[in-house]
Amino acid sequence: MISRDGGFFDHVATPTVFSMSKELSRNEHIKEASNFLRGTIAEGLRESLTGSIVEDDAQLVKFHGMYLQDDRDLRAERGRKKLEKAFSFMLRVRITGGVLTSRQWLALDRIARIYANGSMRLTTRQTVQLHGVIKSNLRATLKDIDAQLLNTIAACGDVNRNVMCNPNPHQSRAHAAAQALAQAVSDHLTPRTGAYREIWLDGEKIAGAPEPAAEVEPIYGRTYLPRKFKVVVAVPPSNDVDIYAHDLGFIAILDQVGDVLGWNVTVGGGMGMTHGEPDTYPRTADMLGFCTTDQAIAVAEAVVTTQRDWGDRTNRKHARLKYTIEDRGLDNFRAEVERRAGIVFQQEKPFTFTSMGDRYGWVESGDGLAHLTLFVQNGRVQDAGAGHDQMSALRQIAELDVGDFRITPNQNLIIANVPLAHRQAVDRLAKASGLLAPPSGLRRNSMACVALPTCGLALAESERYLPTLMDALEESLARYGLSADDIVIRMTGCPNGCARLYLAEVGLVGKGPGRYNLYLGAAFDGSRLSKLYSEDLNHEGLVDALDPLFAAYAQDRQPGERFGDFTIRAGFVARTSNGRDFHANVRG
Amino acid sequence: MGVPLIPKTAPFGDEEIELLNRVVGPANERQRAWLAGFLAGIESTSGVAQQAVAPLTAEPLTIVFATESGNSERLAGDLAKVARKNGLKPNVIDLADLDIQTLAQAQRLVVIAATWGEGDPPSRVTEKYNELMQGDFGRLESVQYSVLALGDSAYAEFCAVGKAVDARLEALGARRVVERIDCDLDFEEPAADWIERTVKALAPAESSTGTVIAVDFAKAGSAKTEIVEAEITELVNLNSSRSDKETVHLALSFDGAMPPYEPGDSLELYVENDPAEIDAVLAAADLAQDNALRDELRTRDIHTLSLKSLETYATLTGHRDIKALIDCGEAKAWIADRQLIDLLSCFPISIKADQLRAITRPLAPRAYSIASSRRDVGNEAHLLISAVRYRAHGRDRKGVASSYVADRRKRGDKVRVKLRANKHFRLPAADKDVIMVGPGTGVAPFRSFVQERRATGATGRNWLFFGERTFTHDFLYQLEWQDAVRDGALARMDVAFSRDQPEKVYVQHRIWERRRDVIEWLEGGASFYVCGDAKEMAGSVRKAVETAYADVKSVTPEQAAEFVRQLERDKRYLTDTY
Repeated sequence: MISRDGGFFDHVATPTVFSMSKELSRNEHIKEASNFLRGTIAEGLRESLTGSIVEDDAQLVKFHGMYLQDDRDLRAERGRKKLEKAFSFMLRVRITGGVLTSRQWLALDRIARIYANGSMRLTTRQTVQLHGVIKSNLRATLKDIDAQLLNTIAACGDVNRNVMCNPNPHQSRAHAAAQALAQAVSDHLTPRTGAYREIWLDGEKIAGAPEPAAEVEPIYGRTYLPRKFKVVVAVPPSNDVDIYAHDLGFIAILDQVGDVLGWNVTVGGGMGMTHGEPDTYPRTADMLGFCTTDQAIAVAEAVVTTQRDWGDRTNRKHARLKYTIEDRGLDNFRAEVERRAGIVFQQEKPFTFTSMGDRYGWVESGDGLAHLTLFVQNGRVQDAGAGHDQMSALRQIAELDVGDFRITPNQNLIIANVPLAHRQAVDRLAKASGLLAPPSGLRRNSMACVALPTCGLALAESERYLPTLMDALEESLARYGLSADDIVIRMTGCPNGCARLYLAEVGLVGKGPGRYNLYLGAAFDGSRLSKLYSEDLNHEGLVDALDPLFAAYAQDRQPGERFGDFTIRAGFVARTSNGRDFHANVRG
Repeated sequence: MGVPLIPKTAPFGDEEIELLNRVVGPANERQRAWLAGFLAGIESTSGVAQQAVAPLTAEPLTIVFATESGNSERLAGDLAKVARKNGLKPNVIDLADLDIQTLAQAQRLVVIAATWGEGDPPSRVTEKYNELMQGDFGRLESVQYSVLALGDSAYAEFCAVGKAVDARLEALGARRVVERIDCDLDFEEPAADWIERTVKALAPAESSTGTVIAVDFAKAGSAKTEIVEAEITELVNLNSSRSDKETVHLALSFDGAMPPYEPGDSLELYVENDPAEIDAVLAAADLAQDNALRDELRTRDIHTLSLKSLETYATLTGHRDIKALIDCGEAKAWIADRQLIDLLSCFPISIKADQLRAITRPLAPRAYSIASSRRDVGNEAHLLISAVRYRAHGRDRKGVASSYVADRRKRGDKVRVKLRANKHFRLPAADKDVIMVGPGTGVAPFRSFVQERRATGATGRNWLFFGERTFTHDFLYQLEWQDAVRDGALARMDVAFSRDQPEKVYVQHRIWERRRDVIEWLEGGASFYVCGDAKEMAGSVRKAVETAYADVKSVTPEQAAEFVRQLERDKRYLTDTY
């Protein structure tokens, strides 16, 4: 366990910052003054004439798993109609490893139809987002979620967020161990403040004496972390969780019979950057070393507390763990983690990743159970009509109550642990609503963030546009006989990279309305970042830029060569070795 | 122009009074003396001096009105004017304020009563109406009376209240001097005629030998009573494009005469039919080539069906199927949700223009509560108009006025309006608190109230209850209410959005939740206003106030109901419902 000597918690209140001369960022003051994430949220809920809350509280509610958003499609008409912006909240459920029971799925489906916009959004971090929940319904919604033994605590905010885990149940023993670790890390790193329960579930608490930080938040302290923090657990050979894109990763190391020996630990991955600010960049994680299962929680806590104390609290664009490690050096960081965890990392163990994608269709695990991986385009579960009433179909599958629901890191869904006798019933419902994977290798490996109309950060469309772009690109691929080839394509509406597009072979980042930057050259297994290829492309520009690349790939590729590797070998983009040279060697 | 000397009460027409004033007003002492002498000379030679002093012998006339929209009250005023000029001393009384026990002492009694909804009296007079119909207040043998009933023939119980009052007065022994008339929406002409006959019948003998001095109400010539033209300066649907409702905020500006409206008043909007609907009706009636009729139908009611119009149609056309429908008693059910076009297309028969005229009425103007205060918006008036659109019996239907405004008018167009005052829905003194309950378009007069109170610096507190379907898409004037709360023009505002959550929440639920404060405000002298839907909302709100009072004060439901009745008598529980 961590050491608690030396005025540790005072240290948290005025943390050592990388650049002592600079002012703390605004959010640090908000957290400090919030009385452990309470702020004036409860008062704001009583303001019934506005669907909004005050700015500081909008920062704080993220820690409770929600974002204040507004429907950007409606912005233009609102003022004329004497209406404020169409405010609502996005709620992100905390679902460790993405695993839900049928019953929980049914409950979320019901909540989405009653309180949200009638759809569910499966995310790239294995959770469900509900969009369009208005302020007056927040309490009722969170109570309903709580009744399903779920919550939204720390699904957003400067804390450890949803812990991801390879959801594939067919390697059952390894998966069970990975899921157990994910759950333990999640439980250990969940904020302890009573604010969530008080504000959303039980009603307000009578104000008492201020509590000491050491008692309320033994790990986080009064000001929590400098920035968001993301943990994943991978089970090779699948790198579906994108181990290199996260602050902290555990890679299961298996013995000959498939049992977990322990974990390779990675730190310092992260996707976000800002257009035009080369000091900001995506970064793939580094290896800390190997630890055993009984050391893993201590390691996780030590990484978190080191980042808590060492992270840059003056500049939120430089506050993620990836910059701390760049600034302090990996060896220093490892030594501090070892000191705090009271362990010494062993040499990392060999492992092999083969892909980031999902394995679609049915797979049997030999224990009388079968598992079906469905394709949910961009994670949007809805009744879209025209044979795609997928929300209803999934509800009917859940009503069969013959398996559990697992959200994959690729925004897809696995109906897992279905007894063979029920396989056909599930299959029929899935097939009828277009939930089986399409033949297109590009589409099977596609992801998009939500972006417009709800996300406040989006500069361009993403989820609503990628399918259209793929229609055009599929035509192009078909021309060169590449329809069935797996090529990873990911799109985000802004450079923060929620869909981890800097690790995609074809990466698209919104620059402005209808304009995208195109990145190429990432590795198929998620181990290498991409490089900027072309800027400010509209739809035609994107198709025109990619078509000759597909043509060249079809003609010149070597046996087994992946598209991302090819674009480097063929000289279209320079290889990116890691974050520091992400912006370097971009062709003029 | 000099000071007017001839009082309005003089036995002359308004124009004559004006003319006389023009002469007498600026006249000097010598001129007046000469006039006096001259007139005295004429009178002494003609020997009719007695008649000139009619006011000295004026006989009292009791004029009782029961009004919802203000029409009955206006007619009562018109009647009083004529009566005054014909040797009567009129006393105009709202039925709501009438002491029924004094009725037997009235020598001359006139009742002008509106029927509302399905044969109901106007809500404010319900209590007194019941007392009049059932109470014991002696025989009325010495009373001469006449009744004018107002109603809408689109409803089955046409003029039911007027008919009932007439029968009751007769049963109590009163003597009817003029037959009752039952007026439809186009009441102006028959009412003027009835007024003349009634005054003639009730005027003192010496006066009735002459002719009734006519008062031409229609030509008073001011924006107060006349139709005036206004320009549309803003026309915006306040509901979001995602809403299934459509509520138009209409800002009108007046270049010339501006209706001198007060908060609580309404404007009547003169609307025209959709040319496409006129064409459909003409085609169905096989009259498509009659362009004169086409023009005429712009301002006739080509929608409303009533039992009466069905009977007329059956008689005029001899259509046996309709006759059968009426005879088997199913006509009433059949006309529900149906319109003239359905009648013409379901029972087609070639008809003449006059037959079509006979089953249509003139298109009445639509009245809307004014949603602005002149003290805030200057020479403008704002209206809030809910567009009615629905589908019934295989056809898309739309409200005449709402589609006229929402579909066929745009900014810069002119519309014709007329002021309809509502004296029964006025703000209290500046230092008094008000509680306003206005869901949906019922919020219109309260926007006027709040603007007025802010502009005049009224010190009383204002508390608004508003309700609609959804918070995000239907919160009418949301930004303005936020400002009003911020600047203190609204001390409080509570909202109820019925479709935002699984259970329906309405304004009455908010009143119940806030009952302690509501009752505290009322006991502190606050006035309580309700505007909007008459069918469900108004009753539910009243019930909520009663229940709130019973709960807060721990009294019986009867005592609570009496509390609200007393508020009503004190003019502190006021409704404007439709």
